[in-house]
Amino acid sequence: MSLIIDSVSKRFGDVQALDSVSLEINPGEVFGFLGANGAGKTTAMRIVLDILRPDSGTITWNGTPNTELPRETWGYLPEERGLYAKMNVLEQLVFFAKLHGVKPKDAERETREWLDRFRIPEYADMRAEQLSKGNQQKIQFIAAILHDPQVLLMDEPFSGLDPVNVALLKEAFLEMKNRGKTLVFSTHQMETVEELCESIAILDRGRVVVAGTVRDVRRSTGRQMVRVAVEGDSEMAWLGTIDGVRVTRRGQDYTEAEVAPGHDPGAVLQAALGRACKVRHFEMTDPSLEQIFIEHVGQIDVSERTLAPRAARA
Amino acid sequence: MSGWRTLWPNAWYIAVREYRSRVRTRSFVVGTVLLAVIAFATTQLPVLIDYTSSTIQTQVAVVVQATGMPPDSLALFGGQLNGQPADPNAHLPFVISWLAAGDEASAQKDLEAGKYDALLIVTRDAATNDLGFTLRTDSPADGRAVVGIKTALVSLEIEDRLYRAGTSTDALRASFPFSVMPVSGASAAPKNISQEVSASLLSTGLIVLIFMAIITYGVWVAMSVAEEKGSRVMELMLNATTPIQMLAGKVIGNGGAGLTQYGAILGAVLAGLLAQGPIHKAVLGTEAGTSFGGLSPAVLAAFVVLFILGFVLYSLLYAALGSMVSRQEDVQSATSPLMMVIMVGYFMSVFAVQAIDASWVKIASLVPFFSPYVMLARVSTGHVEPWEFALAVLLLIATIAVALFVAARIYSAGVLLYGQRLSLREVLKAARVSR
Repeated sequence: MSLIIDSVSKRFGDVQALDSVSLEINPGEVFGFLGANGAGKTTAMRIVLDILRPDSGTITWNGTPNTELPRETWGYLPEERGLYAKMNVLEQLVFFAKLHGVKPKDAERETREWLDRFRIPEYADMRAEQLSKGNQQKIQFIAAILHDPQVLLMDEPFSGLDPVNVALLKEAFLEMKNRGKTLVFSTHQMETVEELCESIAILDRGRVVVAGTVRDVRRSTGRQMVRVAVEGDSEMAWLGTIDGVRVTRRGQDYTEAEVAPGHDPGAVLQAALGRACKVRHFEMTDPSLEQIFIEHVGQIDVSERTLAPRAARA
Repeated sequence: MSGWRTLWPNAWYIAVREYRSRVRTRSFVVGTVLLAVIAFATTQLPVLIDYTSSTIQTQVAVVVQATGMPPDSLALFGGQLNGQPADPNAHLPFVISWLAAGDEASAQKDLEAGKYDALLIVTRDAATNDLGFTLRTDSPADGRAVVGIKTALVSLEIEDRLYRAGTSTDALRASFPFSVMPVSGASAAPKNISQEVSASLLSTGLIVLIFMAIITYGVWVAMSVAEEKGSRVMELMLNATTPIQMLAGKVIGNGGAGLTQYGAILGAVLAGLLAQGPIHKAVLGTEAGTSFGGLSPAVLAAFVVLFILGFVLYSLLYAALGSMVSRQEDVQSATSPLMMVIMVGYFMSVFAVQAIDASWVKIASLVPFFSPYVMLARVSTGHVEPWEFALAVLLLIATIAVALFVAARIYSAGVLLYGQRLSLREVLKAARVSR
């Protein structure tokens, strides 16, 4: 009973967009798709939605192939945001609701409820082109969930939003989760993933490089991180001399080092105490998702991580 | 190819949205009102023609230098020019001023000043004793006025010769003026020029209507597809609907908007035709029968059938082509090949009206892409067998089924491909792997 993507491959000309991708997403879970641009996130979503057909492989939701599921099973927030510019908000939301199978007599009431929930009831009679990009994005989010879908797929839902709207959207996410919906979204923002997702998959050039619960993924390398700070020695040059330890970041507050698999992070603390240092801070942790991502995919393109107003291009 | 069994209600919702957003635009409202006004004005053309012909009079000055004219001959000449209307108040096309022999110079001045439209000088040849005529006018030499004067002069000359040969005055009065020869049609009632003109006007008018509808409303469909693609609403639509639903909705919605505009035009035409009589009476003071110009219910029904089928066929192709571009600005160039096909069909039908029984016309009227025009030309001129019409309609419907299949394929592939204009080959390649 889950969303199962089974060895799905898709090729566009010379580009292998997806290469035998297999994933299992549990019902009621918040699942994150991570990957650089062109990794295959959007293609994967489109295939799940049966907008595209895979070259091989199958998709099932609770045992039913996606080609046989009613379209209202899915809610989809595409990466490219768009609304009918000249149409008023209420009218187009009702239109999308009806297209998704909401009964015409319920469509308007439910639309107004959602506008209230997003604290924008006054937008109902405005044309979409009169709204700010952030508000248009809210309208689009409402369009994706109005018909109460079982699975919500969102392509970069947070891009282009200001912090207030990001918080509002996260709130909506949690509400959908509490209603028992399954949420799948793609993003570049590792902090958001760590905050919201239970499970993730990292895609690189059409392949799943690592997948599982966030916890398992962070532990997947077997390495551990230590953060240590001692009185009067911000350099801590001796750290690098310990077997299996590599300094990854030096800062005023603490120094971070990576401990190779099979080595004991406690050795760092012992070494510090052995040098009669006054230990001010010592912390053991798993590598961050960002570190895992960099390790698997390589450096993230800086331009892709910024909150550039993507929607402004439209 | 999913979507066939779930065509409704989504196609209907899309159609309603398309229809509303189209009908609410200012250009639609203004265009419809303007076209309706033009259509109404056009139906009043017969009144205008009657009105101008009832007010135009040709002023003719006649200087008689000849002597020995038959008695009453000049009055008879006037009668021949204007006919012999029974009604003494009837409009006379010619007004004749009789001038003395010495007035030629002053008449010439008045002619140049525009007081007269024509100056006729009647002389007698000293040697043969025959009458001679000189006509000075700026009216066209083969125009109605000059031809009328020439004809009347022939009878004047005949009368003069008979008089000189000794025919008695009574016998002359009994012989002139000549009676007007009645003309009947080859098999039924005689046709007059205005009927002939209105029949070919009707046929041309209906063809132009279909032609305009296909290029105008067809482009609407293409624009609507490109707009959704350009604004990325398409991405949202794709999850909610199937390509077939979108295609059907767009064709129905835009076609409905087009039919609304046509309804307004036809309504104006009908109102104009019904108003012809009263307006004719108000302007001219006389009754005139309403002329429907050969517009029978059968022709109208054939027009509606061909209109709808032609529009559906072409707008499906417009939708497919519209899905291949990413911006509305590119619609024009992407749809130009289709425009060529439409133009060819249109010009074929224009020539077909002139050669309605030619065998190429019979063939072209059955070929699906041309039949909406060419068959209409044959129907509206009454040169068609019922089975030929039925065959053309069946072929059109079959072609529409194929076009729907092909267009849905191109469409579902095209809407997902962004970027520069796509070649048909790329789209067809993508179409093979899409749903």
